[in-house]
Amino acid sequence: MNALPKRCSAYHVALVGALAIIIVISAGAAAQAAPFGIAHPSGGSTFQSGPLGWIFAQQAAFYRSLSGMIRASKDDRTAVWGLLGISFLYGVFHAVGPGHGKAVISSYLVANEQTWRRGIVLSFVAAGIQAVVAVIIVAVAAVVLGATARAIGSTVHVVEIVSYGLVILIGARLLFVKGRSFIGAYRQRRRQPTSHAMSMSSRNATGLLHRHVAGVLHCGHCREDRPNHGFHCHDDHCHEDHASAWSHAHGPEPAELGGAGGWRRGLSAVIAVGLRPCSGAIIVLIFALAQDMFWTGIGATLVMGLGTAITVAAIATLAWTARQAASRIAGAQAGIGLLAMRAIEVGASALIVAFGALLLAGYMSSEQLWMFTG
Amino acid sequence: MKRARSRACAILLLSFSPIGRADAHPHVWVTLRSEILYSAEGAMTGVRHAWTFDDMFSAYALQGMPHAKKGEYTRHELAPLAQVNVESLKEYAYFTFARADGRKLTFTDPVDYWLEYKNPALVLHFTLPLRAPASAKVMQIEVYDPSIFVDFEFAKEKPVLLSGASPQCSLTVDLPHQPTPADQLKLSQLDVTPLDASSAYGEMFANKMLVRCP
Repeated sequence: MNALPKRCSAYHVALVGALAIIIVISAGAAAQAAPFGIAHPSGGSTFQSGPLGWIFAQQAAFYRSLSGMIRASKDDRTAVWGLLGISFLYGVFHAVGPGHGKAVISSYLVANEQTWRRGIVLSFVAAGIQAVVAVIIVAVAAVVLGATARAIGSTVHVVEIVSYGLVILIGARLLFVKGRSFIGAYRQRRRQPTSHAMSMSSRNATGLLHRHVAGVLHCGHCREDRPNHGFHCHDDHCHEDHASAWSHAHGPEPAELGGAGGWRRGLSAVIAVGLRPCSGAIIVLIFALAQDMFWTGIGATLVMGLGTAITVAAIATLAWTARQAASRIAGAQAGIGLLAMRAIEVGASALIVAFGALLLAGYMSSEQLWMFTG
Repeated sequence: MKRARSRACAILLLSFSPIGRADAHPHVWVTLRSEILYSAEGAMTGVRHAWTFDDMFSAYALQGMPHAKKGEYTRHELAPLAQVNVESLKEYAYFTFARADGRKLTFTDPVDYWLEYKNPALVLHFTLPLRAPASAKVMQIEVYDPSIFVDFEFAKEKPVLLSGASPQCSLTVDLPHQPTPADQLKLSQLDVTPLDASSAYGEMFANKMLVRCP
């Protein structure tokens, strides 16, 4: 890996760098899009419009058939199975569209080294919380308190604002930690200009020096990160075995990922995104309640959540895979590769803040749903 | 290796493309019946609407509304909700847009409005008077939500009636353009990137009524 030809190395670095830049730019574009009502992303994405358009048409059709199936379940208990099936498909298809915290969870997985298993569990927890929050809101507000749609609307509104606020906080914290980490890696790199230049100058020496530089940088990275970084960096990473140190350069051992601290942080992120209930689920629940089918509605909502979880987990897997690939590419590039990884993490953290801000700025659009109900 | 990298890049970008809010437009479905009203002199005076909301939205709107008998709501019990409805709709120009020979007409506040509950749906009745009666060779009345939050669809049978128009006038009803997959995609993104206020995108999904008089 370390003995790659020079031209190819430059290519990899450029690619990883470009990736980071694209992420950061798209964060900026996303932040601009909603509040100022400009920059429609719909132009030019024709290759997506076919399958995605079809998916959205399907999910709309599923949604519209839910009410009929709830009513049918009233007289015919076997119709419940059909309802659950459609609810599941609706969840799967519906979650392909915007929302359900996919973007935040994906960004979180790009910003942090996580095991794939944890990414999946976090996705399921987020979808589960979303479904449960919808059930709790309707159970308490509608069943217990007999609240009006207006009151339920404002409750959802408050929950949304809290959720988006938390997403911004989590993103801001990550941005701070990752930003420091990036600056640290950058400074470390600045301090090693000679050895890096030398490593580039001789192909024979490249392997050895790269390993050396990587080891040094990695040790520095651990030191820089230690107070705030999510991961533990053991001193033995900085021992003589630099080649093995590189293999740890982007994160902790799987065992360390499984630690309680990591779970706590991951869970805080999914709770933040999961808090916001799906308005579709709220309406389905209220409809079911009006038909004296509240328990059936709860079942449908939970199955919907399961469907949503599968889609969110699939997208989280893509994000996780992308990070793994980026980190492999970066692994071939001592110093600059590490720096690029840090840049990607900073970009992903910035995205989380941007998503939170975008959602907070955009929450006005949901007010329309209450336009007929006050 | 190279291909793996391009793929990684594509995957990473794709995973970020669907951003923002949870729901795809539209959110409320309305089945539309309209009556175009004429004065004795043959001028158009207004439009009388009867909008039937989808059952899920109806249940949602009725949640917590006090009513004496389970499963039934009287016109009187629904009066406060009807009031809220027409007041809120003002901001959206009642989703009703009229042109007399291409000239824009304006409506005044609705009159004779009430809600009716026909299990499981709510029906909103209201009459929109024109500010001044108007005559035209071609009268065009469109009903649509420019932001496509509400989906309007003509009722299957007799969606539009002429009330008091000269027998020489003819009515045509144009069904809205069916959304293509590209439209579906755009609709799905409207929550994230709303249309700007001047956008007429929703107009292509308009339910058009055309009255031609000699």
